[in-house]
Order: sequence, then structure tokens, then C-alpha cells
Amino acid sequence: MIKISNIYKSFDHKEVLKNISKEFKKGETNLIIGRSGSGKTVLLKSIVGLLEIDCGSIFYDDRDFTSMNLKLRKKLRQEMGMVFQGGALFDSLSVEANVRFPLDMFSMLSNAEKQKQVDYCLDRVNISDSNKMFPSEISGGMQKRVAIARAIVLNPKYLFCDEPNSGLDPETAILIDELVHQITVDLKITTIINTHDMNSVMEIGDNILFISDGEMCWEGNRKEILSTDNQKLQEFVFANKQYQKLRDDKMNE
Amino acid sequence: MLKVFSRPERHSLYARQTFNEIENLGLKSVGIVAIISVFMGGIMTLQVAYNMNNPLLPTTLIGLGNRDSLILEFSSTIMGLIMAGKIGANITSEIGSMKVTEQIDSLEIMGVNSASYLILPKILAVVLIFPLLFILSVFFGILGGLIVGPAVGAVSLPDYLQGIQFNFNPYYVTFSLIKCVVFGFLIASIAAFFGYSVEGGAFDVGTASTRAVVNTNILILVSDLILTQLLL
Repeated sequence: MIKISNIYKSFDHKEVLKNISKEFKKGETNLIIGRSGSGKTVLLKSIVGLLEIDCGSIFYDDRDFTSMNLKLRKKLRQEMGMVFQGGALFDSLSVEANVRFPLDMFSMLSNAEKQKQVDYCLDRVNISDSNKMFPSEISGGMQKRVAIARAIVLNPKYLFCDEPNSGLDPETAILIDELVHQITVDLKITTIINTHDMNSVMEIGDNILFISDGEMCWEGNRKEILSTDNQKLQEFVFANKQYQKLRDDKMNE
Repeated sequence: MLKVFSRPERHSLYARQTFNEIENLGLKSVGIVAIISVFMGGIMTLQVAYNMNNPLLPTTLIGLGNRDSLILEFSSTIMGLIMAGKIGANITSEIGSMKVTEQIDSLEIMGVNSASYLILPKILAVVLIFPLLFILSVFFGILGGLIVGPAVGAVSLPDYLQGIQFNFNPYYVTFSLIKCVVFGFLIASIAAFFGYSVEGGAFDVGTASTRAVVNTNILILVSDLILTQLLL
């Protein structure tokens, strides 16, 4: 479980996050949704500590992340996995070496055990015949899947995904969503996903936080989202005619 | 800098990374060092010969002039300026690209000290390899003079060979090796600093590379002046 309370963040006196509080539950797919530029990525990067918040608190289970020193934060980060928007795979390493990197850095496993874990993770994301290829030689969807494999190789307690299906075709995007959801449920980890993709919201949104202009506007789950009376959320969700129709059908029922 | 020199997470991985950098930054520079040095030595021999038209001066001084110029200045400082362009730009663009594509954030999220992991092996590699490149440069520079001098009739082969062995002062080599260690540190650390502080995109990586090379060149010349005054 990750709990954030009263988070504020500003850049050059411009407030980007204003008083955001939320509890992200374990074993559920927690989504942060909002328009481009609404502050989703800043919020996610603040939660993982890549950006320092101006005030507020972040708790990982019972551990206060905001008051931790660098050494403790580094230790906690070994329990985190993150999938970046562009994959952020290391260009100079092969697919297999990318996934193996966290094991080489932090685990005391033997080479054979490391290889077994790498193979398991790559198999989990349905990549088995591209192990020796480099990131530049594989497609965007495969890069995302390798990034997920790398993020889960140390069996993290917390998984963060920044727009994991952006730039992907709808079919691959659904595969990535399902994969992240499955991993979250199977490993019982706390997953937070940033997205503005309504398909993801409707497919895997167990616990949703909607932010607009850096403010928390709404929270709920995918069932509640269609019947919301929140004006800003309605504008965001029903910008897509398909979801307008879905809402109208539901109301007619 | 404190972050760069903090305790590595896994020594074996850092050692492996240092050897990779020695290969990438050092061994892959041997070719360009050899080519530049051969031409530098050849041109130096011709210019010394051209300026020694007094019959009272022995032509053995041509070899001596070439040797000492290479050891004292050309194979260390000029090579330093060239390596600032080749190695420095390489380091800045590599680290800068990693920064803008979130690869550095990715390391940080794993709990890796990204500054130390990416920069320390490069500094160690360049500091270790640059003195070796200097020795190679002196060798190829003298070889260049040996080929060009007798070929164009500027100096006879025996006179050139006698000149390069005449009145050799080993301290000149020590002095230049010290300069190489300092230049190596400057090249790697300044380039890494500019790469690590890049914000933005590809354009900013290019700008950072240019700034890194210009700043390194200026600092190499300033430190050359200071070291020459202090050590010679």
C-alpha cells in the first residue's frame, strides 16, 4: 500500500500539484488519469522520489519515504520497479542483459539462478526469441514488454508505469494492460499506472484517481466512472463518442 | 563529485564497466592517435629543418627538436585537445542521451547511484588510458619524422636517429605523464558533468557536447600553463 497526503509541488513558483491525497491499494491496479499536462507524470515521479515534493508525505506501507535519507531511499527503491513512457531500456545492453542488470547489481544469486529468473520474466511478458537483440532492433511494444520484465525481475513490492501503452497499437496496448494487471494480481503488488487512455481505464481500473490542473478532482473505480456527475471528468471521459454511447445505453437501461 | 566518488554498489560490475570504457574510449582511439601523431612528427621535422638553415647547427638537432617537442607539448597537450573533442563529445552525448531518454531515472529507480555508475568508470578509464596514448603518440610522432625527414632530404637517417637519442631527459616524460593524468581527469569529468546536467532533447545534447569540448579545451590550456610553471 502507498499512501500520499497533501502533496504540493511547484516549478518556478508555478504550482503543478495542489494538495493531493490518496491511498493506492495492494493487489489492485491503481490508475492516475488526466489530460496531457495535468500533472500525472509529476505526481508519479514525486511518489517514486525522482522529484522532491514541496510539502506533504508519502508512505510505503508504514515507511515514511519523505523523511528517509538517501541510503534508506536506495534500499527501498530495490523494492520498486518502474516502466517509463519510452521504455528507458539501456541502449548498450541486449534485451537479456537489460533484464539481468538489476540482478547483477543487487542479487546474490548464482549465474544459473539469475539466468533462470531472467528467462522466467521474459517468458512472462511473452518474449523468448529476442534475448540477444538490442533495444533498437525490437518494436516499441516489445520494448515496453522488456521494460516490464526488467521492472519485475527483482520481485518488487511496488510497480509504477508511466503511460505504458502510449504510442502502441490498440491490440498491443490491451496486451500490455492485461499483462500489468495480471502481474499485479499474481504477485500481490501495489501498482500505480499513469494513463490518459480510456480503454485502459475501462479494462483494468480498480482504483482511479482523476487529476485536472494539478488538483485531485475525483476518485473511484471503472464502474463508477460512467455514472459520474463530475463535470471535468465527464469532459475527459466522454470526449470519446464510444463512451458517450456506453453512458447513454447505461442510462436507458 | 561526491556522488561520483561514493562507494559502488557492486565492485565487480564497476570493474567490468571500467574495462568496457577502456576499450570504448581508449583502445578505439589508438588509430586516430597514430594517424595524427605520424603527421604531427613528420610536419614538425620539416619545420625544424626549415628553420635550421645555419650550417653551424648540426642536423642532429632536427631529431632532438622533434622528440622534445612531442614529449613536452604535442603528444600531451595537442593530443589532449584532440581527445577532448573525440572522447569528451562521446561521453557528453552518451550520458546526455541517457538523461533525456530517462535511462538515468531508470537507474535511480533501481537504487543505483547513476552518477557513480556512469561517470566513475569513464574517469578511471580515461585517466588510465591517456598516459598510454601519450606514449604511443610520442612513438608514432618520432616514426613520422623518421619517415618524412630522410624521404624529403631534410635530414639523413643516421643524423635523425642520433638526434632522437641525444641528451635525453627522462624527467620530460614524467612531467608529461603527470599532465596526461590531469588532462584525462579534466576531459572525462567535464564532459560527464555537461552530459549529466542536460535537460530537454536531442538539440540540448548537441549544445552540451559543444560546451563540454570548449570548456575542456580552455581548462586543458590553463592547467598546462600552471603545470609547466610548477613542474619545469
